Amino acid sequence: MPTSLIPALDPAPLPGPPWLFQVLWVLTFFIHIVFVNTVLGGTLLAALAGFARGGRRETRTLFVEVNSWAISLAITFGIAPLLFIQVVLGRFFYTATILVAWAWLGMLVLLTVGYYLNYIAKFRLRAGKGAGAVLVVEAACFMAIAGIQVTVNLLHLQPGRWGAVADNVWAALADRTFAPRYLHFLLAAVAMAGALAAWVAVRRAAKGGDAAACRGMARFGIRAALVATLFQLVDGFWLLLALPEEVLRSFMRGGAVTMAPLGVGIMAGVLLLVVLAGISDPLAQPARVRHVAELVVGAMMFMIVTRHQLRDFYLASSRAGEQVVVAPQIGPLALFLGVFVLCIGLMVWALVRSAKDRPAPGERAA
Amino acid sequence: MDYPIWNLAMGGGVLIGIVAITHVLVSHFAVGGGFAIAVIETLAVKRRNPALRALAKRSSLMLILVSTVFGAISGVGIWVTIGLVQPAATSALIHNYVWGWAAEWGFFMLEVVTALLYYATWDKVRPRTHLVIIWLYAFAAYMSLVIIQGILSFMLTPGRWLETHSFWDGIFNPSYLPGLVLRTGICLFLAGAYLTLAALREPDRQARVPMIRLLAGFQIAGILLAYGGYRWWEHVLPGSVRAIFLGANPLLPALASTRHLVLWALAAYLLVALFAAASPRLHLWPTAVVAMLVGFAFFGGYERLREGARKPFVIRDFMFSNGILISEIQDLDQRGVLAKAVWAARGSDASQEAKGRAVFRAECASCHTIDGYLSIRKLVAPVDPDMLNGILATMHEEGNEYATGTYTHQGHVATDKLDYPLMPPLVGTAAEQEALGAYLLTLKPSHVAEASHAN
Repeated sequence: MPTSLIPALDPAPLPGPPWLFQVLWVLTFFIHIVFVNTVLGGTLLAALAGFARGGRRETRTLFVEVNSWAISLAITFGIAPLLFIQVVLGRFFYTATILVAWAWLGMLVLLTVGYYLNYIAKFRLRAGKGAGAVLVVEAACFMAIAGIQVTVNLLHLQPGRWGAVADNVWAALADRTFAPRYLHFLLAAVAMAGALAAWVAVRRAAKGGDAAACRGMARFGIRAALVATLFQLVDGFWLLLALPEEVLRSFMRGGAVTMAPLGVGIMAGVLLLVVLAGISDPLAQPARVRHVAELVVGAMMFMIVTRHQLRDFYLASSRAGEQVVVAPQIGPLALFLGVFVLCIGLMVWALVRSAKDRPAPGERAA
Repeated sequence: MDYPIWNLAMGGGVLIGIVAITHVLVSHFAVGGGFAIAVIETLAVKRRNPALRALAKRSSLMLILVSTVFGAISGVGIWVTIGLVQPAATSALIHNYVWGWAAEWGFFMLEVVTALLYYATWDKVRPRTHLVIIWLYAFAAYMSLVIIQGILSFMLTPGRWLETHSFWDGIFNPSYLPGLVLRTGICLFLAGAYLTLAALREPDRQARVPMIRLLAGFQIAGILLAYGGYRWWEHVLPGSVRAIFLGANPLLPALASTRHLVLWALAAYLLVALFAAASPRLHLWPTAVVAMLVGFAFFGGYERLREGARKPFVIRDFMFSNGILISEIQDLDQRGVLAKAVWAARGSDASQEAKGRAVFRAECASCHTIDGYLSIRKLVAPVDPDMLNGILATMHEEGNEYATGTYTHQGHVATDKLDYPLMPPLVGTAAEQEALGAYLLTLKPSHVAEASHAN
């Protein structure tokens, strides 16, 4: 393996303990992926809502409305993991992105187009017009972005493939885990968006919303989540078995540290399937619908830990002998933590206040 | 230099410039726009003025579409672009300022959430709550600028950081405050310029007059602040940086022309803004668009100036634009630059020309393309072999002057004393220097004819 192609470690020391960057990376990536799945799965379901038996417009409206802020939050929460990966694995990450530079740069164009298409769909739906074609193109944009992300992710893990990709950029796709990994993301996104649609429909119905439309949306969501989870279980094992042998072996030998998150994740997936299969009328089974949403998020959390652990095994040989120097910047770290706590506090306050503060009768609204 | 090289006909620097200038035109509006909308809604509530309220409401959609959508994407775009074009510099910045960036991210989160809430809560919450949300937005957006300005200005004037490598010395560098004043002014005038477009949509001409006047006030205040900040910024630059674009014989005449454009654009903008304040009824779409364009010209020109003034560095006095550190010159002169630049050397055979091409890719390709931007073929066309070897030898010698600190005082290199003050030195062994010369000669248009003749 031409490990000599791996750039040298940055001579500057790490400005904090490596474990802290790892924790922040995983934590912020989890929040990022929640919004990403909402956007990706939501757009896919909005595009496919024509197949629903009822509540088609409601389903589409729900996701374009949600996406108009979820895309912003997906981008915003994507910044932090992007920062932390560069601190810990910058030399692998930069190399991977440069090798597929046009695609990596093109992602921005796709994101811009997808985002503005969402606004077009939103305003069209508000005006009572159709938005099916717009949503299909928007979904294609976000699916392409997911494909680029998976490609870069796989490439930064495998310096052994860099030479081939430098000679022929299409070799970036020639990884036997690409297809199952890409599917894994798409299916997780659809399952999550399906659970979200069902949960929103149940809440709306409880508040006196149009029962037929809510039932249609809830059933569509549950069915989408069920089908996605079913395929996900198969795809998950495909992905596991497609892993490079040494990676899989190291992972299996990791003991409870690696097997527990994977096991819990799989269990959550199986349980999710059981709960989904038991839902015949979502509006009449609100508790089950809530469990679906909880299980989806739970499964994602554990699978993200597994994904992170796999990264270490992939890069173990390339990082062997890495002499990381740590020189913690205590003051700047305190600044970050202070700002983070302050901003989270202010955000929560603003959210709660916005939800609860209403003018008294006769009083003007803003 | 450790990384693969992305060959881009337009030049990586130009791409960064396009993305960065596009982003700052939006992001600075996001800062100033938040403040201006907060002021406008506050006045609307205090004066019970429905026209001002309508202006704030109209502007809030613009704020969302421009700042949280395009601003957020183009902001990530800068990350993506600098990582592709200047990975070593990006890595150096990340290692020094990750906590600064993370803090800025905290403010950015607050900025996005409050912007979305502000837009979503029109006609829903009480005015006081609505005002608190937009003032929170204005606070978060400005704090984001306060932090990021430290990192941006660091790249041009690292100051004491060169000796201490302290986070705070890097952030509070010599051009930090002048740049912050300048950018604050820019935020204000961009807010005035953008929101004027929203004000012009007010159908009541009588109500439009005070709006235009208020927004002209933002622009005049912003222009004056930006002018003061700009002059202060020029004043704190080291002499060798000023020599690039100031004085009777600037080292880079094109950059000196940019400076003229910057100042004339600001003067023109002041005139248009004064016109708007004096004759608000006559300030319609054409003059509003002119105001915006001259504002863009000033800001875009300033960014070009700031980037260009860093030459030959990407981080002044620390890392050259090709990713080589001053601190590693001597080592690379011993080991050879290709010992480090493995990607540039990849696939090269043992021939002199191939080795020279690899040295070119490692040391020159970050700025020069073969036939596109800063075409090396055009540059070597008029140069004969002796002259070329002389140039390369001088550039190599300048590496020693950097490494031994001949012109260095407290970490700052007086590059204006060098023969090639805008170019990184040529680093590497004598054999690599010779190979580069041989390769460059193959690019001369006459080379093919000479080769045929020799055969």
